[in-house]
Amino acid sequence: MTSGASGDEQLSFNEHIRPIFNQHCVACHGGVEQAGGLSFVHGDAASYIVEPGEPDASYLIERVTSEDPEERMPPPDHGKGLSQQEIDLLRTWIQQGGNWGKHWAFVKPEKSEPPIASSEDSAWTTSRIDAFVLKRMRQAGLAPAPEADPQRWLRRVTLDLTGLPPTPEELAEFLQAVEAQGAAAYEATVDRLLKSPAFGERWASVWLDVVRYADSKGLGLDGRRTIWKYRDWVIRAFNADMPFDEFTVKQIAGDLLPDPSMDDLVATACNRLTQTCEEGGTDDEMFRVEAVIDRVNTNMTAWQGLTFGCVQCHSHPYDPIQHAEYYKLLAFFNNTADSDLGSEEPNVLVPLEHNDTEEARVLDRQIEATRETLWEEAYDVLANQSQWSELRDFEVSTNNSTKVVTAEVDGHFEYQTRGTVAKETTVVVEAAVPSGLTQLAALRFTGLPKDEKAARMDSEWGFVISHIQLELLEGDADPRILEIADVIADQPQTILDPMLSLNAKSQHGFGAYSRIHYPRTGYFVLAEAIPVSADARLRISLRQDVFETGAFPLVAHRGRLAITGDAPILDWESQQSVQQRRAELADMQARRRKIPSVRIPVLRELPVSFSRPTHVFDRGNYLTKTDGVPASTPEILGGPQANEEHALNRLDLARWIASPENPLTARVAVNRFWAQLFGSGIVRTQEDFGSSGDAPTHPDLLNDLAARFSTEMGWSVKTLLRELVLSSTYRQSSVVSSDKLAADPQNVYLSRGPRRRLPAETIRDQALAISGLLSKKQFGEPVHPPIPDGIWLPFQGGDRWDTPDRDDPDRYRRTIYTYIKRTIQFPVMASFDAPTREFCAPRRLPSNTPLQALMTLNDATFVEASQALAERMFDHSVELQEQLQYGFLLATCRDPQPRELQPLIDLYEIRRNEEDAHAPDEAGTESTRLNALTSVASVLLNLDEVLNK
Amino acid sequence: MSSLSIESEFAQRSLEHHTRRHFLRNCATGLGSLWLADQTVGGARAAMAESSDPEFRIPAKAKRVIFLHMIGAPSQLELFDYKPDLVKFDGKECPREYLEGQRFAFIQGTPTMLGPQFPFQQYGESGAWLSDRLPEFSKVVDQVCFIKTVQTDQFNHGPAQLMVHCGQARVGYPSIGSWVTWGLGQENEDLPGFIVLLSGGRPPRVGNALWSSGFLPSVYQGVQCRSTGDPVLNVANPDGVTRDSRRAALDALKRLNEMNHESFGDPETLTRIAQYEMAFRMQMAVPEAMDINREPQYVQDAYGVEPGKTSFANNCLLARRLAERGVRYIQLFDWGWDSHGSQQSESLNGGFIDKCKQMDRPVAALLKDLDERGLLEDTLVVWGGEFGRTSMAENRGGVATRFVGRDHNPNAFTMWLAGAGIRAGMSYGETDAMGYQPALNPVQLRDLHATMQHLLGLDPQRLSFPFQGLNQKLIGVKPARVIEEILA
Repeated sequence: MTSGASGDEQLSFNEHIRPIFNQHCVACHGGVEQAGGLSFVHGDAASYIVEPGEPDASYLIERVTSEDPEERMPPPDHGKGLSQQEIDLLRTWIQQGGNWGKHWAFVKPEKSEPPIASSEDSAWTTSRIDAFVLKRMRQAGLAPAPEADPQRWLRRVTLDLTGLPPTPEELAEFLQAVEAQGAAAYEATVDRLLKSPAFGERWASVWLDVVRYADSKGLGLDGRRTIWKYRDWVIRAFNADMPFDEFTVKQIAGDLLPDPSMDDLVATACNRLTQTCEEGGTDDEMFRVEAVIDRVNTNMTAWQGLTFGCVQCHSHPYDPIQHAEYYKLLAFFNNTADSDLGSEEPNVLVPLEHNDTEEARVLDRQIEATRETLWEEAYDVLANQSQWSELRDFEVSTNNSTKVVTAEVDGHFEYQTRGTVAKETTVVVEAAVPSGLTQLAALRFTGLPKDEKAARMDSEWGFVISHIQLELLEGDADPRILEIADVIADQPQTILDPMLSLNAKSQHGFGAYSRIHYPRTGYFVLAEAIPVSADARLRISLRQDVFETGAFPLVAHRGRLAITGDAPILDWESQQSVQQRRAELADMQARRRKIPSVRIPVLRELPVSFSRPTHVFDRGNYLTKTDGVPASTPEILGGPQANEEHALNRLDLARWIASPENPLTARVAVNRFWAQLFGSGIVRTQEDFGSSGDAPTHPDLLNDLAARFSTEMGWSVKTLLRELVLSSTYRQSSVVSSDKLAADPQNVYLSRGPRRRLPAETIRDQALAISGLLSKKQFGEPVHPPIPDGIWLPFQGGDRWDTPDRDDPDRYRRTIYTYIKRTIQFPVMASFDAPTREFCAPRRLPSNTPLQALMTLNDATFVEASQALAERMFDHSVELQEQLQYGFLLATCRDPQPRELQPLIDLYEIRRNEEDAHAPDEAGTESTRLNALTSVASVLLNLDEVLNK
Repeated sequence: MSSLSIESEFAQRSLEHHTRRHFLRNCATGLGSLWLADQTVGGARAAMAESSDPEFRIPAKAKRVIFLHMIGAPSQLELFDYKPDLVKFDGKECPREYLEGQRFAFIQGTPTMLGPQFPFQQYGESGAWLSDRLPEFSKVVDQVCFIKTVQTDQFNHGPAQLMVHCGQARVGYPSIGSWVTWGLGQENEDLPGFIVLLSGGRPPRVGNALWSSGFLPSVYQGVQCRSTGDPVLNVANPDGVTRDSRRAALDALKRLNEMNHESFGDPETLTRIAQYEMAFRMQMAVPEAMDINREPQYVQDAYGVEPGKTSFANNCLLARRLAERGVRYIQLFDWGWDSHGSQQSESLNGGFIDKCKQMDRPVAALLKDLDERGLLEDTLVVWGGEFGRTSMAENRGGVATRFVGRDHNPNAFTMWLAGAGIRAGMSYGETDAMGYQPALNPVQLRDLHATMQHLLGLDPQRLSFPFQGLNQKLIGVKPARVIEEILA
């Protein structure tokens, strides 16, 4: 507490002074309200009220001590005045120089010297962690609990590291090893568990909460999304102990790495877990912006422990983060090609078999390179080497109620729609062939937004040329349809294949899909040069049938056309090298198609020429944009800043976040792992390391762990966890006396071992493991274990939940492989506090409810587990006593005390009598005994000891 | 905790106070204890039990809420908001000033105006205007207070439904029912405090996000009950498990858990024992409460129930049974009110007529039944959709629809309230001559939320929970007011 600072001790701004300002001042003088131009959030904006070294000359002291109620701060109606003690602290602080310290979490963590324990305590402090923990514990007047029994530690550490309970065989081996080797047995066990494939499944679950992983799209229809390859990537990353910095860079910007691997691309699906809205009549741009905002918020909370929601609308009320800085961060994420499309484009085709990944990636690279060079060559010929004649003075009509007129804008002739644009509009243009042309080689179409300048900032609905027809009208002859052989767009990678404009059966084709920021140009190349007479006319029909989300006709509101008779493009098309490369391309594509794959949404950066400028939104409203901003990091965190010469991109952001220089990344990560093991974080508000979050309970320990994690541990999660679970702190017994409970109900001082209810996934996985039903199969498509009738009511009728039969191992896979639908949560997850994965959820708030009891007593999975456990017990021995002992051991990882067997024996007898009375013919048979044992098994699975670690 | 700063210590204290300890105390003071039974608690917790009521509690008029949400947004212009001038404009092009700066879900370009599709007349002593689609409701109209000018800022169903129930257009925030049960606790120890009933054949599209507890503890999320099948998930014992054998198993479990508590001293173990006992009682109480066959025939007839099926009428009768048993927040969703006119079932001259029939009688019966049993005095009934419908006809894709319909209108729609603390027989707020925008006294959804909380004895400005760096409130950060004018 603040009273701890005596007169001559150096005060800490963060510990002693900032809390006074936050409590009394920032409501009016903060990041948002800056009454009188004064802010206690930004040191600069408050410098004039402090005279370093001279408290009596400082305006701050004058105002807080004034006798005049008009003068005194805070004003009486705003709250209590400062206490004498607080005023004394302010005076001392000014006396000592009045330095404005940065918030603790914004200062890079450094290794701390572990406190020296007294000689009697030194036996306890077996790890670096313990020394820090013990010091705080002693300050609070507490002493460590005795070490937990080896079997209890084994159960705890096995559940914590793998999410599964130890088997009786593992227990026996461990107890023998402890006998023989002592402490070394503990280390060997931890090493064994860290190598287990189950390790990745356990820790991936934690990360999937943070990045809001789900197998559905959320919002409106919440349809299925195929993105499970990302879930598998996370599991593999944890199992391979991928360093956390690498893990970070790949997920934020894997696509921008030099020569990214398939896995690097899959990692970026992390940022495609945002919700997309497929509801009819919804605005793709609005939900694209929502998704980008969610990416900023999720990335900042996941890696930086900062809650940014408020900065969307105004500067941060407590931390020195400006409104505009939010949009500078947003700019990093604002230029990916995805735009809330039903197809989830852009996607990458990922092989179903992980072993095929590299072969597929090699082919993809070759295909991409070939396509890109072909495009570049053709585009260069068309855009730079051909003479184009604009079609002018044409007549224009449509096939429906859409009205069109012609106009001249900036010297260009164009058609424009007027009023209501109907769906399925075909624009028909009839024009004289421009004079001087003797032959036709290619047609050019440019679709423009209604308002070019405004669209750059606020895109309009785009257009798609579903089909194009070009007819030549000469004299009295019948119109002649000219064959178009090729379509070249104005960028190499497009969401819809431009060639589909030639396929009358497809609605897709060249266009600006689904939004238009800039005029977009497509080139339609004829199969051969067509000679034309001087009076020839052309009729061009532009069918535009795409009707986005069942509400918005994607029709170009303005269109310009031009024609060329130059043959170079035809020469290029017929070149042997082009033909040959196209054949190779077709061959590679055919080979690629043979590799069974799934489409996974990923990040892909837009080409610079089509990039979206980022603007600050006025009060967070995306429709009212103000100043343009470059991508840059918040200044207070000391990251790279954009300047005139040097623009920053997502990879720069990723590398800065993953750097040991970043003050937050390692702290936030270490804190998250700590919280999983000890029940709550060193910073309890895992989601908020800003000054409105909690201060760390053990600041030196957090600094030390964070600094070592990012340097000497090489960001190795396994190294970190190993150290934590081998510490004396972790090994303590969780038995608590009522005195200790009263002194420290939340176990803030860690004077006993952690005892927490297991997470939802572990509750189910453990029941399956104890009963022997658990399938160890890893990875793959999501599975659909049993759920109660009446719960699966998806909005889309075709979305089915097909449960495998009881002889199919997919019924009993680990919970992480269960299909996750955002609007219909898997009941076990819902009952046991798992988040619905709609947005970043760094911690689960535990509850303790009767619905949980109904779940573990009556739900099909737990009923089947009870039956299987009963059979396991039954097969183990013919003696009831031994059956019960075995079941108890399986469930709790220890032998029961004699008194603990009695309630189970009593239950067994009651149940058997009941069964015998119910079916006297079958009295005493195997089936009645099994039924009675099933009741016992259900009790074992529901023991408080089993549901807790 | 000497290293914690003052404000974080405060935040932590209030977090604990508002969550675990809050309901621990509630149990001890008998405010409500579904989720926890009496237990011996450690010194720290016992101390909490002695503290006074939380600062957000104020005197209450209502003890519980029945919220009837017509999913899809029923047309106010065909039910409650009579606009004779709109008749004159029927079929004419929409005036420009109505279209400027407006965004629609489906309307394109310049649509035409659409007059009311049914005749209106005045009913009751209050002289409320109603269309002829509500013959039964017209008999109880004097019990009701209409608000004609409710506004929202969302014009797509999913986000707008979230606005109505969670005050935010995004998923992940607590619903009113969760806030209320969190703030007030339970009245009945054997039933969940927040129950959700669905009808109309489809669930709302954002599903349980509408009854989510968001960042509040999950114990406060709404429990969906079914009128067919298991009324609550897993409430029935598995095949072959009798109530006696379940009792025997729970006895064994209790004995073992008590031994465990003796060894470890973890108070959560006692809570868990209590929860298993609660589950056992719920297994009896929920099916009993959810069985409408226990109602006399004349009551079933009054509501027009269809036993064995899932219907809005059944759910209205269930709502009364649950209200009677002290369930705090009863939420009904009825799907099928999205009258765009693009298909028969979703048109004003088709599906809408059927929906009105399905709604009219049960709602009237519910208000009458609550009144006769004296329950209307302390039960707040709220009726509404997620937005209103346009004064223009829909022209999806720029062409006229096949059937008669209207698009979404977030600018003004009608909701009504009845019961506890509400001034019956009045209408508040007026829309313009076309029924498109408020002309007088616009009301925001956050005002409605504030008013509901106020009636329930919760200070809307103070009922808050720290999350993501903000003290989150149902009413959000924009100014919200209690609509004093509609209070009795």
